[in-house]
This record gives sequence, C-alpha cells and structure tokens, in this order.
Amino acid sequence: MKRTPPQSFNTVPMKERLTLPRQAMPEQDATARAGNFLEVNLGLTAEQAVLEAQRCIECKSPTCMDGCPVNIKIPDFIQLICKEDFLAAAEKIKEDSSLPAVCGRVCPQEVQCEQTCVVGKRFRPVAIGNLERFVADYAMQHGNGASTGPEKPQPSGQKVAIVGSGPAGLAAASDLIKEGHEVTVYEALHEYGGVLVYGIPEFRLPKAILRQEVANLEALGVKFIKNFIIGRTMTLQELFAEEGFDSVFLGLGAGLPRFMNIAGENLNGVYSANEFLTRSNLMRGYDFPEWDTPLHRAKHAIIVGGGNTAMDAVRTAKRLGAEEASIVYRRSEEEMPARNEEIHHAKEEGVNFMNLVNPIEFIGDEEGNVIAAKCLRMELGEPDESGRRRPVPMPGSEFTIEADVVVIAVGNGSNPLIAQTTPEIQVNKWGNIVADEDGRTSMEGVFAGGDIVTGGATVILAMGAGRKAAAAINEYLKEKVGS
Amino acid sequence: MSLKEKIQSMNMDQIMEMCIEQEQQAIDLYSMARDQAKDAASRQKFQELVDMETAHKVSLRNFELERYIELPPADLKVTDYLMEPLLSSNLNTQEILIIAAKREDKTARMYQDLADHFANDKDLNTFFQMMADEELRHKHDLEAEYEREYLQEG
Repeated sequence: MKRTPPQSFNTVPMKERLTLPRQAMPEQDATARAGNFLEVNLGLTAEQAVLEAQRCIECKSPTCMDGCPVNIKIPDFIQLICKEDFLAAAEKIKEDSSLPAVCGRVCPQEVQCEQTCVVGKRFRPVAIGNLERFVADYAMQHGNGASTGPEKPQPSGQKVAIVGSGPAGLAAASDLIKEGHEVTVYEALHEYGGVLVYGIPEFRLPKAILRQEVANLEALGVKFIKNFIIGRTMTLQELFAEEGFDSVFLGLGAGLPRFMNIAGENLNGVYSANEFLTRSNLMRGYDFPEWDTPLHRAKHAIIVGGGNTAMDAVRTAKRLGAEEASIVYRRSEEEMPARNEEIHHAKEEGVNFMNLVNPIEFIGDEEGNVIAAKCLRMELGEPDESGRRRPVPMPGSEFTIEADVVVIAVGNGSNPLIAQTTPEIQVNKWGNIVADEDGRTSMEGVFAGGDIVTGGATVILAMGAGRKAAAAINEYLKEKVGS
Repeated sequence: MSLKEKIQSMNMDQIMEMCIEQEQQAIDLYSMARDQAKDAASRQKFQELVDMETAHKVSLRNFELERYIELPPADLKVTDYLMEPLLSSNLNTQEILIIAAKREDKTARMYQDLADHFANDKDLNTFFQMMADEELRHKHDLEAEYEREYLQEG
C-alpha cells in the first residue's frame, strides 16, 4: 500500500540540507566517565534535534522504515521534530514502539534504519536513533508519562500472562492491554526489564528510564509480579489451570551463560559476563559499600569476547577500578560484532584490545584464585558461514597474560526450565522454543518471542516479535470467544 | 603399547575388527547418551551421531572406496583445547559437540596411523586415508557447528 507522505515542516531549502553536518551526540568526558557509572551519552539539545531533523531530505519513497524491525514512522516523527512539536513526535513513535527511550539508546541503528537512510548513501545518515532518544526523553520530562494513545478499551474479560519482563514481554504487554485484555507480567528477578536491567549497564541505559517505561505500562493497567520463576514457582500448565489465563506469552530471553569449557574456568575470579554484569547492574555491586554485592576489583581484568556484552563488561571492570582492562578476542576488530560506538567509547576510556588471541587455559594460585590466562595467537583463514574470516590457531604461539579477573562473554543460551517442565512445548536442539512467525508454539494458547525463540539478538527484534505475538494472541482470543 | 606398534603385530582381519570395534563403541556410546538424554533436542543430536557412526561401520564392512572422494576441509582446532565433559544424562548440545569432535579426532588419528602403516599397499592406504579424511570432515562439521552456536562472542 502506498504511504501518504507526512506534512513537511522543514524550512531548510532542499539543496542546503545535505550541507548540514550531522549533529554530534554530546558525551561525558572520557577520563571522567571511566571513573563513574553515569550515562556516557548526554542526549541532543532541542536545537540540535531540530537541526538534525532538518537534514532529512523527505524522500518520496523513504527506505529508512524498511530498516526498522517495528516499522516506526520515521519520516513522520522527523517532520514533527522540524515543527518542534516534540510530544507529538513521541506519540508518533509510540504508535509502533513501546520502548523508544530504550531503543534510542541501545538499538544498532547503524545497521538498521540509518543503514537504509538515503542521505547515508553519500553523506552521514540522519541520526534517527539520536532523534528517537531525544523525543522519548523529552516526552518523559515534559509529557504526562503514559502514552495518551487511544481511549481506554472495553474490558475483553480475557486474561493473558506474559512471562518475562524484557523487551519482548513489555512490547507484548503494551499492545495487549490496549485491546482490553487483563495482562499480568511475571518476572523471575526482583526488578523489571529482563536483559535491559541485568545486562545493560547504567552508563548505557539508566535504570530510571526503564522504571519509567514500566510505570507507564502500570498506568495503563498492566499488573506486574516479580520473583516468579516459570517452571519453579508455578508451571505453565498451572498458569492456565489455577490462575485461569486464556493465553500465555513466553518472553524468557536467553539468560543462560555459555562457557568456553577450558581448564581453570571454575577458579575464583572467573565470571560469566551474565554474572559479572548482573552483580554490577542489578545488584549494584558498583555502589559498594552502599550495596554489599561482592565483586572483585581487578588489577588486570580480561574480558573474552567481542560483542556488546564484552564491551559492557570491560567498561564496567574499568569503572570498578581495574588498573588495566583488556578485551581478548579471537578474531580481528573488523569481525567484532559489537557496535562501533561501543568499541570507540571503550577505546576512549582506556580499554586495551588484544585481538587475534584466544585463551586456552586459566591458571590459578594455591588458593584457587585466577592469576593468569594461557593464550594462543590466531590468524585469519577463509570466511565462515557468517562471512567473517575464521580464526585459526598459530602453532607454537602460546603465551601468558597476568589476570586476576576474567569475564567470559562468548554468548548466552536459553533457560532450560521450560523444556524440562513443559514437554508440550517443542524446543530445538539449542533449547530455543520452536514458534512460527506469529509466535505460536506447539502448545495450545501459548505464544513465544524474542531471544528464547531466536537465540541472542537485539532489543528491537525482541520487541518486534513481542508485538507480532500480541497481535496473534489477540486473534486467538477473539476466535476463542467466537467458538 | 602405542597404536602404531600394536598395528605391527596384527593381521588384516584383526585390523578391520579393531576399526569396526572402534565405530561400534561410538555407536554404543551415542546410543546410550541418546536413551539417557532428558530433552528431545539432545536425543536428536545423539541419533544423528549414531547414524553417522553406523555409516562408517557399513563402509568398513563393505570396504567401500568410492564413498568418500572429497578432501577434508582445514582442521579448525576449535575443540582441541577444550576439556572433554564426562558422559551423563544431563549433557547439553555444547558438551555433546565437544565429546563428538574429540572422538572424531581420535578416530581420524587411528585411521591415519593405519594409512601410514599400509603406505606400500595402494588400496589399503587409500581406504584408510579416506576413512581418516571422513572422520576429519565430521570433526570439521561438528566444530563449525560449535563455533556457529557457542562462540557467538556476544
């Protein structure tokens, strides 16, 4: 269907738009921020946001929306920024995304909407992510919090349980409450947000932002229950039989840490990234002695991996006071899956990068504390299926690095509890729930989406899956009433 | 006594018997693991391994030369430095892949030793070299899967 272009409020002549420089995101000074947990990016000013929005050339056939997994109406909200109607711009985003302040911070826009921005073919693309963040923050500060959205719907009389309060669960809850269903979100931990709260550090995503998003959903009528572990506190079957839910959405995430299976991984001071970041982020281990969560302060922390989680862990170790904090990565920087921005920020903060290096053993002292990592140097061979050149060990290249904290950040798997307690739910050989494109699982009335289906992916993809499943749940519930 | 030394004192029947026994041990091991596995996904993975080893056994019985014609891909060495998990009913796919890759590596070495032993017998040398290559190809496939799924480096 052909899209009606939004009304233009851009006062800059078309020819001049491409001469406007991309507005730089104001940041905390690198030296100062390496010693604190405050947010690194400070957000565009209103003046910067308007200037950045004016760089949009209002394409007749915009491709930016194609790059967004939830199809946010990017041209529309950009024009509302040009009009300086920031609250209306925020509402426009909210039509398609329930967590704009989060996505504006953590989405990899450079490989999504900004990659498909037409301006980006010859110049730097319009900073869509920074604009999204600006209007979401503006709305939080100046709006009424909860999305105004449509009128409160008539209650449907049907109950939906959302298991997991990460991005997939929150997105599904947001859509389902607007359909009049009674929605309850169950969370295993003692704070809501899933990976957004235990995985992403304060300096990248302040918890206050997330609490505000959860408060918005509560204001819309979503009920939240924490400290609830599906398969332990209650089984999936019991949610239907005892709690009377008509449908359940599983957005459990991929929170099971993976290890390397090399010697010495059980030494004291060797953490999974999951544990290390949870101790710091969720349990506020960085705020010692105000909070008494133990977390090693390292002389030399090494973090094994090259993704965003590895960058979060190494920058956390640095902020915790490590004299030296290093990334140890088996490929080269070119193959790193982490966002360029995160690599750039880590370097600015003094993180070392030991690329083409792979640990093969961790060495401990007589008390069982890690003191070093034995490593091999790697060289790049032929590309693998992901297109990245495959690292191959260099014979005889063994060497040792001193390290008193090691964090393993090589990926996460899915929680096995559902597979173990609910035989009706089909899982694949990696333990991910098998679901169709609308999130339907092998169990009647149960839908799933996000990392528990796809394996570790991005926040926005999880949100997109949550929204798709919510639409399917809505249809399922309508059919259930009609039958 | 090393395998190379052991081979010296064996006749052809004994050698083939040893090879079939090696493949049968793998079939038994993976069958047991399949039957003990608690989830369907692990059972499926073990069944794939049983099928693979059964095909090897058939090749040995039939002395098939034409089955394997491709050269093995490069050894990725992904699992060479990993610790081998103990067999149990709670193994996950990651542990299964490590056990299987290490086993393929060990069997490839056995066939390579046999190929070297029969360096002067073209048919036998070719046959055992192909069996060694086949095991290395399986090691490569298992390690590529391991790398794809368990070294995402997130």
